[in-house]
Amino acid sequence: MHPLLFLLSLFPTFVFAAGLPQTRGVHPSFLSQYKPKGTTWTCLDGTKTIPWSAVNDDYCDCIDGSDEPGTSACSGNTFYCENEGHVGASIPSSRVNDGLCEPACCDGSDEPAGVCENTCAAVGELYRQKQEAARKLQKTGSKIRSTYIAFAQKEKKRLETEIESSQMEIVRHEKEVARFRVLVERTEALSEEVLEHKKKSPLYTSLITHHNALKSLQREHKRHLEREKQLSDILDTLRHGYNPNYQDMAVLEAVRGWEYLAGLPHISEAEREEGGDEEDGATAQVDEVKEELEEGEWSVRQLEQQLDELLNVDHTSLLMEHDSYVDEPASVSPSHDIKAYLPDFLIPQYEFLRDTLVSGLQVLGIVKGSSTAASGWTKATKAREKLNDAEHGLNLAQKHLEDAREELGDLFDPTRYGAEGEWKKLHNTCLRKDTGDYVYEVCLFEDARQNPNHGGSSFSLGKFASWNPSLGVIEGSKEYYHTQVYSHGTRCWNGPERNVKLDLTCGTENALLTVTELEKCEYLFTGTTPALCLPLEDETESPKDEL
Amino acid sequence: MKVPLAALSASLLLLVSTPVAVAFKASDFKTCSQSGFCRRGRDFATRAKDNVNTWRSPYSVDAQSISLASGRALLTAAVNSALYPDIKFSLEVHVHEDGVVRVRMDEVGGLKKRYDEAAKWALAVEPSISAHTQWKVGASSARAIIEPKTKPGHEVVVEFKPLRVVLNKNGREQVVVNGRGLLHMEHYRNKTVEEPKVESPEEGAETQAQEVLKVNPNAWFEGDSEDAYWEESFGSWSDSKPKGPESLSLDIDFPHHGHVYGIPQHATSLDLPTTTGEDPFFSDPYRFYNADVFEYLASGTTSLYGSIPVMHAHSADSTVAIFNAVGSETWIDVAHPTAKSTGTHWISESGILDLFILPGPSPTEIFGQYSGLTGAAPLPAHWALGYHQCRWNYVSSDDVRGVQKRFDEEDMPFDVLWLDIEYSKDHQYMIWDKKNFPDPVEMTKDVAALGRKMVIIVDPHLKRADDYPVYKQAQELGVLVKQTNGNDDYEGWCWPGSSSWVDFFNPVSWDFWKSLFKTTKGSSWSWTESTEDIHIWNDMNEPSVFNGPEITMPKDLIHYGGWEHRDIHNINGMFLPRITSEGLIARGETPKRPFVLTRSFFAGSQRYGAMWTGDNLGTWEHMAVGIKMVLSNGIAGMSFAGSDVGGFFGNPQPDMLVRWYWVGAFSPFFRAHAHLDSKRREPYLLDEPHKSTVRNILRLRYSLLPVWYTAFRETSVTGLPLLRPHYVMFPQDETGFTIDDQFFVGNSGLLVKPITRPGVTEETIYLPEDNVYYDYFTYRIYRGSPKGRNVTVPADLHQLPLLVRGGSIIPTRDRPRRASSHMHRDPFTLRIALDGSLKARGEIYLDDGVTYSYREGHLTWRGLAIDKISRGSELRLLNTDLAAATPYSAAEGTAVTEFRPENPFQTGIASVRVERVIVLGLPGKPKRIVVEGGRELEWEYAPGAGAARKRGDSDGGDASVLTIKDPGLAVATDWAILITM
Repeated sequence: MHPLLFLLSLFPTFVFAAGLPQTRGVHPSFLSQYKPKGTTWTCLDGTKTIPWSAVNDDYCDCIDGSDEPGTSACSGNTFYCENEGHVGASIPSSRVNDGLCEPACCDGSDEPAGVCENTCAAVGELYRQKQEAARKLQKTGSKIRSTYIAFAQKEKKRLETEIESSQMEIVRHEKEVARFRVLVERTEALSEEVLEHKKKSPLYTSLITHHNALKSLQREHKRHLEREKQLSDILDTLRHGYNPNYQDMAVLEAVRGWEYLAGLPHISEAEREEGGDEEDGATAQVDEVKEELEEGEWSVRQLEQQLDELLNVDHTSLLMEHDSYVDEPASVSPSHDIKAYLPDFLIPQYEFLRDTLVSGLQVLGIVKGSSTAASGWTKATKAREKLNDAEHGLNLAQKHLEDAREELGDLFDPTRYGAEGEWKKLHNTCLRKDTGDYVYEVCLFEDARQNPNHGGSSFSLGKFASWNPSLGVIEGSKEYYHTQVYSHGTRCWNGPERNVKLDLTCGTENALLTVTELEKCEYLFTGTTPALCLPLEDETESPKDEL
Repeated sequence: MKVPLAALSASLLLLVSTPVAVAFKASDFKTCSQSGFCRRGRDFATRAKDNVNTWRSPYSVDAQSISLASGRALLTAAVNSALYPDIKFSLEVHVHEDGVVRVRMDEVGGLKKRYDEAAKWALAVEPSISAHTQWKVGASSARAIIEPKTKPGHEVVVEFKPLRVVLNKNGREQVVVNGRGLLHMEHYRNKTVEEPKVESPEEGAETQAQEVLKVNPNAWFEGDSEDAYWEESFGSWSDSKPKGPESLSLDIDFPHHGHVYGIPQHATSLDLPTTTGEDPFFSDPYRFYNADVFEYLASGTTSLYGSIPVMHAHSADSTVAIFNAVGSETWIDVAHPTAKSTGTHWISESGILDLFILPGPSPTEIFGQYSGLTGAAPLPAHWALGYHQCRWNYVSSDDVRGVQKRFDEEDMPFDVLWLDIEYSKDHQYMIWDKKNFPDPVEMTKDVAALGRKMVIIVDPHLKRADDYPVYKQAQELGVLVKQTNGNDDYEGWCWPGSSSWVDFFNPVSWDFWKSLFKTTKGSSWSWTESTEDIHIWNDMNEPSVFNGPEITMPKDLIHYGGWEHRDIHNINGMFLPRITSEGLIARGETPKRPFVLTRSFFAGSQRYGAMWTGDNLGTWEHMAVGIKMVLSNGIAGMSFAGSDVGGFFGNPQPDMLVRWYWVGAFSPFFRAHAHLDSKRREPYLLDEPHKSTVRNILRLRYSLLPVWYTAFRETSVTGLPLLRPHYVMFPQDETGFTIDDQFFVGNSGLLVKPITRPGVTEETIYLPEDNVYYDYFTYRIYRGSPKGRNVTVPADLHQLPLLVRGGSIIPTRDRPRRASSHMHRDPFTLRIALDGSLKARGEIYLDDGVTYSYREGHLTWRGLAIDKISRGSELRLLNTDLAAATPYSAAEGTAVTEFRPENPFQTGIASVRVERVIVLGLPGKPKRIVVEGGRELEWEYAPGAGAARKRGDSDGGDASVLTIKDPGLAVATDWAILITM
């Protein structure tokens, strides 16, 4: 038995209870209601009237428990200790007269007299010191914070200027687009019919089919690469994370198989050789393997780098160029040869028409004097390209404007950089904590990562999702900005996606203090930032006092 | 806790297609057909059944050899086998003082010695042989009337040819051993080496003749092949079986008992379903082979973590029981040839026959007889009955402090905070991982400062690291389990990697292990970074060996004395908690009651602490079967039991978690636990209204602690289970024989039926008698009937079907506190549930809850009784001193013959009073209430239904409630309150 308990048990409780003043444990704001009416008193909920002597008699009479503010007789109550020399505190009534001196009640009033020492003088002093230290910290922090706010203001100006210039840019691009569109419409109207005909060429349709097939293959290839990456990530995690001690042959086989396939040394041997450089060595080894290619076959590098380019080729232009290639050796162009297929009586009309059309096109600059349709098409395509360029420019400018507007909107959005924009400065500010095995990193408003110190893969712990999403936390409140959530990080092999909850408090530095994995793949980071150091209330009123 | 490997990896490889982990991996564990001796045993039973008319047991008693000893209550005789005339067996039949009959049979002068020490470890004391019973030896049988006279008509008979042992009651057979001729003790033999055949024409005729002779004449009995006699393999493991076949088969029949209970631990109903006979419920026999079963099924005969080979056979007329003291792998077939009879067949791999027959004839007497053999659960530390908060893992000392803080912020009580394996550096138990637990002693002190305790895991596998002092010492002492060669230390894989295991069968290991728990520096290494507020959790003690056959040790490993692991496997788990608890008792200056939780257990384990049902799943089925398993453990002596609240695996939905807290609050051992992969689910994390419901559940548990502690007193003295199934409470009520989803708490009169299904708003509960029952919370009345009756009670998520049986007085301490240690001085409330004749009884037992001073009589044990006096015009509530009346039975181990009311404990609680008396079911408003010989009391009366059923009284209704305000009477003094009607 606790010596204190034993001592305490020598005090008969009912004697203790009988002598209690009725206002013991009553919070100052309720004191006025603890007054007798004659010899009776009515429970605070009004449901029952009891003798005044039954208040604080260590027996629960009222349904709401209001008759026992100073004892533990009614559950669910609170007990108020005055803590003279310090600040008053309320504790649950379950802690009254339980044999334990409640730290919150430094005056010891939660236990019978003589049991607990009154430590309020010392506690109060310490409290005031701490308060003062906190105040100082907050003050220093708030100065830094005000530079963040200033930064946000500058950003605001910058963005506003940017918006203005973007708007002007847009006007310019719009004009350009309009001009080219007219031109393109004119040229294309004339050439469309012919183009349609040419597109029916078996060579062209086959080319398009090839193009589509290649594109599909590329899509599938990418999908497979991605899947392979995922699988190799899983297997890498397995390789590094599996417990060889379990002697599970299925796992061992999987690890060995993967190592063979990936050209890695066996993990236990690799670890024995110390350090994480085994990975690099292995990768180099893989690269050394020479590709054996048949003539004309593309290397992996070519596939990576040139395939997109190939797929982006404008086939319509090619079709036209193709015509010119085909035409060169054959001196007669198809249009000249038409005569051969025409009945004789039509030939004169044809020749007249042809001359009129060609000369007309020559005038328009679409068909060159040599009068090949191909060069006419090149012209049309070039006009289209110019239009595309102009439209692209317009889009860019619009996007730019949109981004700037969005950024400006975010700047003082309470769900983003705060009402004063004080968080803007910290966008992409990265805080790190080295725990020995890993370096944890959070880049504010971007993402969180776990980077191993001794080799192995780095994991995303999540992307910025929101400020404190807890139920009951009001958007824009102080509590709201004390927590950030980063979610949808790399999935744990046997669990959820990794997530981070970042709890921040006011501090003079942007720093990560602790990292804990409270449950699998759920991380709790704590840290400090000046952005949370609000200006001291009294200081804001007379900011010059300090200066 | 814990997940062996195989399933881990299986789920990993399935990750891409199915994110859900696979469950129980049946292929990791043997079925009967994969176990050589079980296969032989079942084939043998089939042959006997197929040839029932000609089958005759070859075993017989040599009548000439009989001798009597110990005042003629001990019979010894030679037994012969007609199959092997040269092999000799001995038989002993003892009759104990309390009427228990012990039957022992062993091979005499065999090539090797059968293991005969199972009972040595299981028994608490050597039983005393009856001074009165005398065997009478006749020509064909020997008979003994069983003393004492409290068992009239009981007689044990040994029939000679064939050998049968029968317990009779009034001429009716209660227990019959070898009645079906399934007794078979495979004798030790040499492996016959097949001689190379030499084909020569001259010898041709002779060879043929020899082959004819070689046909085994015993094939009708033993089978025609030497099935798995000399070696056996399972998966990639092979068992060298150096001793060859040595199994023991035994039929134990109960010709007049239609229900059997016990043989925990299996995940099944209390009333054991059949495994053989017509249309059996299960196809495989119940198995005893302690194992770390990953995600075990909620229904099955698979062996689990512990084995108690105790079986009750019950009928409305009588209850008998058997305790088969065998430590090797054992399979048990159960059949009901008729609805009113039971046949069982026990097949063990090795060991002698050492069978205890408990004559009953009532469940209460069975518990007395069984605890007379293996001991009763001692009184636990009072705080151990509080709420335990566990998780794999609280990850740092700050985490520990944080959890405690959150409980306190929510004003939720708890007593114990637990640390699972991750506290330790590289899973070297008792060595802190200083990166996360830099200040373990300070941390423990911070928890203890608020009156709480910590329980920290210490597993039996020792990391084979030379700088791990625990391993190093054990290795130097030579007390580690040995390889098959008997010399080299066995090395297996477990959490720390390469590990070895202490062989606790070696007595040299005991002092070594006990000394580890000293918190102060001594001559050898001890856990100085711990305090006396740390208690211990022993997990993985089956033992779990990740790379062993069936996730445990190979059977041919060698223990102390040269015994094979196969001989002692099921006993093994009992030692770790035993020696650990002894270490905890011995660590301080004043011995304090230890708390040790074990996963593995055997008969007798109740003496060393609590158990839990292992790694259950967060499913409704597991919640439901957990209750049945706790009931089953309780009737086998292991009363201090519980299941992980919330389920170890998975993330229970809030409604399931709330229901699980209700289950836990009415389990003797109340702990929430969760797997590493699960989300945090401490009750403070719940949303409303669930959070408040769980807070209320926790507070209910704490307010009922006087009931639990008083019930534990009775258990510790009588061996009666804490949770009492219907057949124990009402042995004559047939309807109750199959009920295992509702139960009574001790003898308190509380009847509870936890809800284990989703979406329930009301529930039927069975009332087994013509009595009035009161809803504990609403005081609504439910009336039973002489034939038993189902009634419907509200059972929403925030409600629990909890009734108080008419005639009971429930003592509670209703003031919520943050831990039980702060309740010692709190006043009592008495809830008096009157029965029809306006009577009620109750008890309160109190002591310091921490030390063993109760054994010197430092305790309070009060009897509360209310009766009609003055021809019914008055009721008198009496508080009397039960300790003074029967000091010898006040508490387990109490060595006093005279109770001193002025003992220091009772003096210390002189101020503890009764603050409220609530009387339910009075027929009308009282006129006056006074303390006898003293002052008039204040009271309130709310009219309502009376306890006695009146003519035309419609069922139910709210009971009348009399509340007496603060009579100001001390709980530990004699007094009476008079209620004038």
